[in-house]
Amino acid sequence: MIEYKLVFTGTTGAGKTTAISAISETAPISTDVANSDTGFQKSHTTVGLDFGQITLANGDRLRLFGTPGQSRFDFMWKILVKDAFGLIILIDNSRPDPLADLDLYLKGFSEEIYTTPCVIGIGRSESHPTPSLDDFSDKLCEYQLTLPILPVDVRLADDVIMLIDVLMAQAESDLK
Amino acid sequence: MTIPDYVKNAAQQECDNFLAEQTGALAAVISSADGFDVASAVTRSLDPARIAAMASSIAAIGSVVSQETQLGISKSVTVNTEDGVVYIAYIELQGVTYILNIIANSSAILAQIIYNCSEIRKRLKVL
Repeated sequence: MIEYKLVFTGTTGAGKTTAISAISETAPISTDVANSDTGFQKSHTTVGLDFGQITLANGDRLRLFGTPGQSRFDFMWKILVKDAFGLIILIDNSRPDPLADLDLYLKGFSEEIYTTPCVIGIGRSESHPTPSLDDFSDKLCEYQLTLPILPVDVRLADDVIMLIDVLMAQAESDLK
Repeated sequence: MTIPDYVKNAAQQECDNFLAEQTGALAAVISSADGFDVASAVTRSLDPARIAAMASSIAAIGSVVSQETQLGISKSVTVNTEDGVVYIAYIELQGVTYILNIIANSSAILAQIIYNCSEIRKRLKVL
């Protein structure tokens, strides 16, 4: 059995905690506390990490880590992404400037983004269709990056599993 | 979760006093549970905003560890380093949980820091 470390990051409210909770086989570990930032419509926010686990069909195990979203916790980003097999960036398309949000994480993970398999998940894109997936793709081009960009509803386990499947496929193609 | 000015001023006074009176103290920062500094006194180039965010994460991880190990409610986390100590303790302001973060060099005595933080917690809790 091989164990892989997978990191979920992205904007506050994009659903990192929800995504891990949706698929974890064990009770997820969460470090949510009361949110005092009036800029976000959330009662609680992650300040340390989220953790869950899932076993793949072949018996390998994924250890799922979620980061805090706010950039003031970027020291946790560095801690959590160390030795990660893959990175999933979740963007909330209902926020004022989702492309700037993506910028923040591409810069925040600039040391890993070119060497670690990565997938971008766009949430709430049905109710907020702009920016489009093409717009996000153009943003990645500014960084000379070509990464899978998928619309997702992280409340749905199937959508989260799809993100992981795409990430694993990307990792396999990188190895070839 | 707005703190009345008199409570904020008292918290600031406690940070100032701690830095002035505690041997080896380098920083005293009181932050919200989600990592915003509300009162601070620091020396050197320490950034209260950065300290507040880190204290929030460490305290939250400490709480999760205590839950997972069924050791009751987490009260504090101590980081012993080669050249000093970081002591992070939960406090209350107006019934809401906040975090007191102390950074001190090796000339400080941990037991004294813990005692002084306990006194600060008692004084701020009754405001």
